[in-house]
Amino acid sequence: MTFFTVVIRGLWRRPLRTGLTLAGISIGIAAVVALVGMSRGFEKGWQVGLKARGTDIVVSNRGGSLTPKPFDASVRDRIAGLPHIAATCNLLVEVTSVEESDLMILSAREWGGFAWNNLELVSGRMPRDATEEAAVLGQTAAEVLKKKIGDPIQIETKKLTVVGIVKGGALVEDGSVILSLPLLQGIIGAPNQINAIDIGVTPSTTEQQIKELTRQIEQLVPEVRAVTVSEHLSHNEGFRLVKAMSWGTSLLAILVGVLGVMNTMLMTVFERTHEICVLLAVGWTRGRIMRMILYESALLGLFGGVIGVAIGAIGVQVLSATPAIKGLLQPDLSIALLGLSVVIAIAVGIISGLYPAWRSSRLNPSQALQAG
Amino acid sequence: MTPPSASALLEAKALTREFDEGHVKALRGVDFSIKEGDFVAIVGPSGCGKSTLLQLLGALDRPTSGTLFYRGISLPDHPNPAAYRAREVGFIFQAFHLLPTFTAAENVQIPMFETDRSASERRERAFELLKLVGLEHRLDHFPSKLSGGERQRVAIARSLANEPSLLLADEPTGNLDSENAHSVFDLIISLQQEQGRTMVLVTHDPTIAGRAGRTLRMMDGRIVSDDKR
Ligand SMILES: Nc1ncnc2c1ncn2[C@@H]1O[C@H](COP(=O)(O)OP(=O)(O)OP(=O)(O)O)[C@@H](O)[C@H]1O
Ligand SMILES: [Mg+2]
Repeated sequence: MTFFTVVIRGLWRRPLRTGLTLAGISIGIAAVVALVGMSRGFEKGWQVGLKARGTDIVVSNRGGSLTPKPFDASVRDRIAGLPHIAATCNLLVEVTSVEESDLMILSAREWGGFAWNNLELVSGRMPRDATEEAAVLGQTAAEVLKKKIGDPIQIETKKLTVVGIVKGGALVEDGSVILSLPLLQGIIGAPNQINAIDIGVTPSTTEQQIKELTRQIEQLVPEVRAVTVSEHLSHNEGFRLVKAMSWGTSLLAILVGVLGVMNTMLMTVFERTHEICVLLAVGWTRGRIMRMILYESALLGLFGGVIGVAIGAIGVQVLSATPAIKGLLQPDLSIALLGLSVVIAIAVGIISGLYPAWRSSRLNPSQALQAG
Repeated sequence: MTPPSASALLEAKALTREFDEGHVKALRGVDFSIKEGDFVAIVGPSGCGKSTLLQLLGALDRPTSGTLFYRGISLPDHPNPAAYRAREVGFIFQAFHLLPTFTAAENVQIPMFETDRSASERRERAFELLKLVGLEHRLDHFPSKLSGGERQRVAIARSLANEPSLLLADEPTGNLDSENAHSVFDLIISLQQEQGRTMVLVTHDPTIAGRAGRTLRMMDGRIVSDDKR
């Protein structure tokens, strides 16, 4: 028998209670994995999406929600002359409900702009010109909306025809309904309005120069913000809120986990008062008693963490395959996040065990063994 | 403080122990000296302080006043009472006090965690000790599956785990029927005699006390007689 056996035996004496405590921690950790994994996946998806269409800088209106506020298309002419800019493309992007899908990315692109270039046709064709009442769908969007070539698709007040299905090389692209800018402007009755300008820089431009370029753009057009692709989402207040909420909820879940484990460990210490006194009587040091309790709660954390990570990872996969979310985000379940979650769970175990361990070490053996 | 005499294993002077802020005086000034290899029985009416005294000897508790030395070391000031309990003392209780979630062999190994023995040495020694007390066929039984006499034998094996020089037994046969009481007591006697350990044994049974080399009779927190044979 090793010390580890003693620790395991302590957890095994009340399998149901240990099981329920494990369930508590694992649900908390699963929430961490799911929420953080989704928000990170969302962030990464946007970055990959923007990179895929050759965008280095996104110019959009300051502040704003998940979709930025519209501004006048003439802004582009004011910045087009700046150095290092290879190409620009005006956009009007909305996240809106399209037919049965409540969350669909509607991406209207300047006719002839570079944002069209990376789209690879899977079937059908591209719109013939800027005014043809047609849209192309990313693969996932087509799947979610259950559309084939030739089907009608209702965009706001207008019925368009699906003429092509495309592969965009990134989740966000694949999950979008793509149409020409003038068409959408016409539909919503805002002829000169855009809410983003994608900028591609010349190939030799350094990160430093891109940074400098964003500064110049903001100087020239104070009402917009220019951010590099890697910063794009972290500047978005809507996304920052989502991120803060996912961490906040995770923190709450962790706190509930701590209270659950602490409660269990305190109960086990009270329940085992007599046995702990016997251990003290046969010569165990107070340090060894504390270690026993701490190892038990750390082990609860470890097991709970592993189970929670599994539940979270599976849950997120299932969730991201549901029609409501499909195509909008690919969860980022990196090893780092999964590892971090297990580490958090172990920390939860240790922190919750500290007070019970201290209590156990304060027990006085003589009284407990006196009776009988 | 009076310096301890060199030959004594245990030496107590004016030892008192009070509870509840002095309202209960369990020991009212106890003096004695026990030599290495002594077999001492402590007898006396219920509540006279026998268990309290035994707990002081085992460093499970601290006296209110007076001095208590083990091999010249003051027990109340012992730098590491856990080590003293683990290595020098073996305790045998009336209520056995085995750990219910551990098998007989595991219960015997529990005190060995405080030594340098490896896991396999611990297992080996637990087997030898259980064989010594006649329980080699009960190694993997949990206490709930053992009879009272068997439980006390396991507890005796546990008390010997780290080869203590001092065995403290508090009415070890008090919870056993007369047949089991006899065989357990014979076992205790043989352990004391064959291995020359010092034994302090609390008992209500005059015939058991009669087999000890020395009897301390207590009354109301004091030693009233000390008979050597
Ligand atoms: N922790 C305690 N708190 C208060 N009083 C105590 C405590 N422990 C013992 N006492 C009291 O001290 C006195 C001596 O108790 P002790 O257990 O030593 O007696 P004993 O001789 O072992 O009796 P018995 O033969 O019934 O076991 C008793 O009056 C008892 O009530
Ligand atoms: Mg007693």
